Amino acid sequence: MSPLNITTRDAGTGPVLEISGELDYANVSALQKRLDGLTLRQGQRLVLDMRGLEFCDSSGITALLAARGRAEAVQAEIALAAVPANTLRVLRIVGLDQIFTIHPDSETATRP
Amino acid sequence: MMCRADQHPEPQDADAEKVADAAAFAALLEDGAEDLYENAPCGYLSTLMDGTIAKINTTLLHWLGLERDEVVGRMRFTDLLTVGGKLYHETHFAPLLSMQSEISGIALDLKQTGGGRIPVLVSSAVKHGTTGQPLMIRTTVFDARDRRAYEEELLRRREAAEEARRRAEADRTRLQEALAVLQQSLLPDTLPEVPGVRTAAHYHTASPDRLGGDFYDVFAIDGKRFGFFLGDVCGKGPQAAALTSLTRYTLRAAALHDPDPVSALTTLNRVLHERYTGSGDPRYCTAVYGTLEPDPGTGTLAVHLASGGHPPAVVLRADGTADFLPTPGGLLVGILPTARFTTATTVLGPGDTLLLYTDGLTEARTGQDRTGLYGDEALLAFLTAHAGRPPHSVIEALTGLLDSFGDGLDDDTALLAIGVPTADDPRTRNER
Repeated sequence: MSPLNITTRDAGTGPVLEISGELDYANVSALQKRLDGLTLRQGQRLVLDMRGLEFCDSSGITALLAARGRAEAVQAEIALAAVPANTLRVLRIVGLDQIFTIHPDSETATRP
Repeated sequence: MMCRADQHPEPQDADAEKVADAAAFAALLEDGAEDLYENAPCGYLSTLMDGTIAKINTTLLHWLGLERDEVVGRMRFTDLLTVGGKLYHETHFAPLLSMQSEISGIALDLKQTGGGRIPVLVSSAVKHGTTGQPLMIRTTVFDARDRRAYEEELLRRREAAEEARRRAEADRTRLQEALAVLQQSLLPDTLPEVPGVRTAAHYHTASPDRLGGDFYDVFAIDGKRFGFFLGDVCGKGPQAAALTSLTRYTLRAAALHDPDPVSALTTLNRVLHERYTGSGDPRYCTAVYGTLEPDPGTGTLAVHLASGGHPPAVVLRADGTADFLPTPGGLLVGILPTARFTTATTVLGPGDTLLLYTDGLTEARTGQDRTGLYGDEALLAFLTAHAGRPPHSVIEALTGLLDSFGDGLDDDTALLAIGVPTADDPRTRNER
């Protein structure tokens, strides 16, 4: 199993979190912590770049929903970028592809 | 000090100093032999071969609280010991000593006149004459009170640690029993008899310490319809269990009010969303909820179901085929104030079985390095191979499959199979 790795950078549109490794019950709190410490302002777009994500279980889904809730609370947007096929399949099963804006890559996701 | 501070001491002075030191040292030694014997930091004792005390030092007399006159020539060594010490002396100490001529570090207890006792370590050696005959026994006695206290402390701590460990073990067992009972309360003991229908279920618990969040149920709605559901709440542990409980009873109650699958899930969605919104702890579930309506005329079973974010059910047909019953686009239950749920219907004939499962099954990790996922395709292939079999047989095969995943299966998994028996099912003949 690969550990979860998260790096944060700022794009013109707002913060971008690059998430790689495995997002599961064992390490989801790391993402939760990173989201809690994030500065997100009204009108900004929080982008979760999932290009390096190898695995995402239901705890990961919870973290995505928590991120969405955080963005909503400050009237910011949230978008997912470069969602790997297996995670996209899970998102489709649970219907989240309808409530998250999903971009093919972070470049598209950070266009104003 | 002044002298030593002097950078150039006279040589004669240094020599004189040496002589004076040596004299003082000799005086100490000269004075020492007898004084050392009497006041050594240990007890000395010499006895005749029959144990009669011939000589004893002041230190030992002081420990015993006895006068020299009372002891010398009047008492034997064993008279100084406690009853237990005496016994040990007779059975072990004396025989070993006579065999080996010396013995060392034996723990015994001395009696004090005041009624107290002193733990000691005793060493003895036999003194022999020029012809080798044993003359007397020399014994040293070391005070072992500190050492005994230390040993007792060690023992006490070991017992305390043992007790703590035992208590923790008992607590753990009790907690696991409580968790098992709670887990059972989240699942039906037995599934109800549905006329003309066979049902079977299995629940795999990934960890006895973490209450699982999968659930299923089958229950009567009215005279002709039955409700069923199966789902998976997010998370683990007590919060997940509370959510499971809320979900289960909400669905049952909603079904009695309006058995339509979409309205039952919509009610559940509203309840969960209201309960957990703004709690800072998003809680949701995936669920398939449906109704069963047996048609006694044709011997078939009409299934109406709706899915909220749950993997598609599989229909196993009597003719040996199996297919997903797709329910795409249904949303997780509880995340939004209003949610869309996707419906599907099917009719089961004799020998057909509907299988509902949670994603523990399809998300099980496979392969040597546990990097692969079991997945939908493998599941469909497995079920195709078991198509035509009755529900209990399908569940049995799947239970075997779950067991074969070993530690690749790290999530709870619920399985529910609902099928229509074939005409040669013995129970079918009884019903007709």
